[in-house]
Amino acid sequence: MSRRFILLLLFSCALVLTSCNRQRSAQADPLSGAYDVEADWNDPQHRIALNYEQAQGKRVFYTYCVWCHADSTPAGPSNRSSLNPAPALANDGSVLNPLSDDRLRNMIGLGGSAMGKSAMMPPWGRTLSQEEVQSVIAFLRAIAQPPYTPPARPGPRYSVK
Amino acid sequence: MSAEEMGKLSTRLRLAFAVSSVVLLAVLAVSPIKDTLSEWRGYKREYARFAQNRPDSKRLLADYQPGIDQIWVPELGVVDRCVTCHQGIGQASLQDAAVPKVFRAHPTIPHRGGQWGCVVCHRGQGRATEVTEAHETTLSWEQPQLPVRYIQASCGTCHRDRPAETPQLNRGRELLVKLNCVGCHRLEGMSRPQMLGPDLTSVGGKVSREWIYKWLKEPRTITDSNGSVVVNGVENEGEPRMPQFRLTEAELRALSAYLSTLKATPAEPAKIDPRVIAAWEKRPDTVSQGEVRFREMFCTTCHSLAVTRAGETKLIGGTIGPELTKVGSKVNAEWLVAWLRNPQAYLSHSQMPRYGWSGEDLYKVTRYIQTKLTDPDLLTGVPTLGSPTPEEVRLGKQLFVQKGCSSCHVIKGLGSQTDFGPDLSGLGAKTISQLEFGQAKIPHTLLAYIRAKITNPVSVNAAARMPQYQLEPDSLEALTTALLGMAGGPATSAMGKLRVPASQPVYRPAGAFGELYERYKCSVCHRFNGYGGTLAPDLSFEGSRAQRSWLIAFLKNPQTLRPTLTLRMPQFNMTDREAATIADYFEMALQSSAVRPEDANLGQLMPQMAGLGKQLYEVKYQCQSCHTIGSSGGYVGPNLSHVGNWMKPEWIAAWLRDPQSMVPNAIEPRLSLTDQEVKALTAYLMSLRQGSASKAGKRAQAAGNAK
Repeated sequence: MSRRFILLLLFSCALVLTSCNRQRSAQADPLSGAYDVEADWNDPQHRIALNYEQAQGKRVFYTYCVWCHADSTPAGPSNRSSLNPAPALANDGSVLNPLSDDRLRNMIGLGGSAMGKSAMMPPWGRTLSQEEVQSVIAFLRAIAQPPYTPPARPGPRYSVK
Repeated sequence: MSAEEMGKLSTRLRLAFAVSSVVLLAVLAVSPIKDTLSEWRGYKREYARFAQNRPDSKRLLADYQPGIDQIWVPELGVVDRCVTCHQGIGQASLQDAAVPKVFRAHPTIPHRGGQWGCVVCHRGQGRATEVTEAHETTLSWEQPQLPVRYIQASCGTCHRDRPAETPQLNRGRELLVKLNCVGCHRLEGMSRPQMLGPDLTSVGGKVSREWIYKWLKEPRTITDSNGSVVVNGVENEGEPRMPQFRLTEAELRALSAYLSTLKATPAEPAKIDPRVIAAWEKRPDTVSQGEVRFREMFCTTCHSLAVTRAGETKLIGGTIGPELTKVGSKVNAEWLVAWLRNPQAYLSHSQMPRYGWSGEDLYKVTRYIQTKLTDPDLLTGVPTLGSPTPEEVRLGKQLFVQKGCSSCHVIKGLGSQTDFGPDLSGLGAKTISQLEFGQAKIPHTLLAYIRAKITNPVSVNAAARMPQYQLEPDSLEALTTALLGMAGGPATSAMGKLRVPASQPVYRPAGAFGELYERYKCSVCHRFNGYGGTLAPDLSFEGSRAQRSWLIAFLKNPQTLRPTLTLRMPQFNMTDREAATIADYFEMALQSSAVRPEDANLGQLMPQMAGLGKQLYEVKYQCQSCHTIGSSGGYVGPNLSHVGNWMKPEWIAAWLRDPQSMVPNAIEPRLSLTDQEVKALTAYLMSLRQGSASKAGKRAQAAGNAK
């Protein structure tokens, strides 16, 4: 008798608890949390969610960079094929993922010749603001294939230990 | 009562007292226990545990306190307790995806959360302390959170201009104009343009009754064999701006009858010189020559044609004017000639330039349009309608007003109707209880309501007069964003003061140039001091850029400067005098203050200087990656092969120093050039001239090669 009572009690407790702990209705569309979206360049069906900063980077990219760093541009053909050495595709993770944010910032800001690469990459540091350069890097990281994973946090390097 | 009984009673009393004390204590404990177990305290504890395991825990926990946190901005009326749970929102180190979503840092945005709070942009209830109440609609809290996908709507409540940062909002606002929403609805901050749909005063002289019937029934022109519209791989790309009205057979007959009776004599005689017709009528190549002329004049810069290749239909051409794939089966011959001669005589607000046609060209192009741009099956399925009966015409005229046609289309003599539909200025701020969902089986949210209203108005209200719009998912999202941004008046007066008004510059030159500017509709494609289209180069400082002789030659025979562009300046067949008038005006009025007059003689610098410039161009700065000279180079920037004939040296020098000061958002990078380098590059570029004048250029080349 008492056992049955305890079971009942436990059950009702569980019922109460589950009703209290009502989960928020899961949002059906994962892109509903995105400020903007960009179709994966390698797979147009796959749409990548962009946050505010990445979305601003997308805008800057499609204004200044797309002409040489993509195979198709808003105006049609790409300038990439007429360049030697061919510039990296902006979504090419195998090339860009190993480069640190600092390295990319310098590449974009100071240009190719300052970084020991081709002078065909002009310096954009006086055309774009630091925020714009940073947003472009954020965009590149977002569209990278294979996907980009940020380096492990530096860890407690500077702690007392 | 015996002592024993008294004892029993007191024991009972004591027991009762003890029990009630316990109950009282228990009741008293409910509130603190509930408080300790409350949702937000759970998040507080979780954050403390989470932060302790991070290397920068000291900084993460610097502001930690066990109570409720809130952002309070009295002047904006903001009291947002969101930060109670979202504790890592301002911590830059918590940006990565490994951090639980609730503690993740807010992405970098131009506004600081401490100054604005959260609800101003995200909506929802800032004062709530429970997850559901803060984010969703409950019985007592009505304002749900805005999905981030539509967050630009919140930008739009203050920013009435066109911030570059909110492309989706801008696109939605463009759609509100393009789809003529202002025709029927009042939308705050958007003025009603003079013309929405075409003026129908004499439409009966343009198209047949059968065509009107077909258009009203199904306003689309390009369809594949299945009757569906897939253009450029997109379902509704070829959709015209006219939405689909749900009209009965009788209504279709009546409206087509009424409209087909509207005829007026054209202002200019629509006849082509009979001698021209006699000379060209029998020639077998009239149509093909007409096609050549059609292409040479670059009609496709504004108009598109559908082309089907390998089973895929693509629209090729611009979007300024209507798509013309089947226009030959639509309009009658006399109307076409009159229209091409003087579009403004038929439609005073038309953006189409008045070309200087020769009789031959006009005949050839008209014949081409009527022979090739046709579809014999366009009117299949349309019943034989015969001539309109007075009864049909009377009903048609009535329906024209009743159905809201007169909200977008003007018929002279018939008053146009404004505010036909409800005022939408405050739609974005409506609460669920203010919305009428009717029988619609959709979630009861503002978002779902707006979407249903646009895509299928009768699903929400069976008696809706609103026509049906076919929109791509992206366009629907953009339009929804713009409507959600129509949040009525500002929430507080402080918010009202923060509004960024839309700037509406206008550029209307007077005089002889003003007439040509109107005739050739320059501002449809070009921008002048912030006014006009963005299809073609900004001409605000064209007088500083182009040499007069080049400008005149270009206006008479426009050549493309950017070889990859498929859209080019149409050939206007200007006279010498017109071209000179335009060039003189540019020279006088469209000057930049950034050019330095002393640079004007840089073109005459010695060949050595040009040689140095060539070195800089080819080796140090590698300009050829974007610009073409001769046959090699990139094609991001304009072709510079003959730039010495085209640009002024003082412009080149100023451009090299700071391109964005000459043309905002120019793609050219601003380099750190020394004054000497600027001079050398200018000298080199000025030496690139056409024909015999390029002796200096050859010398420069020789000097460059010698180095």
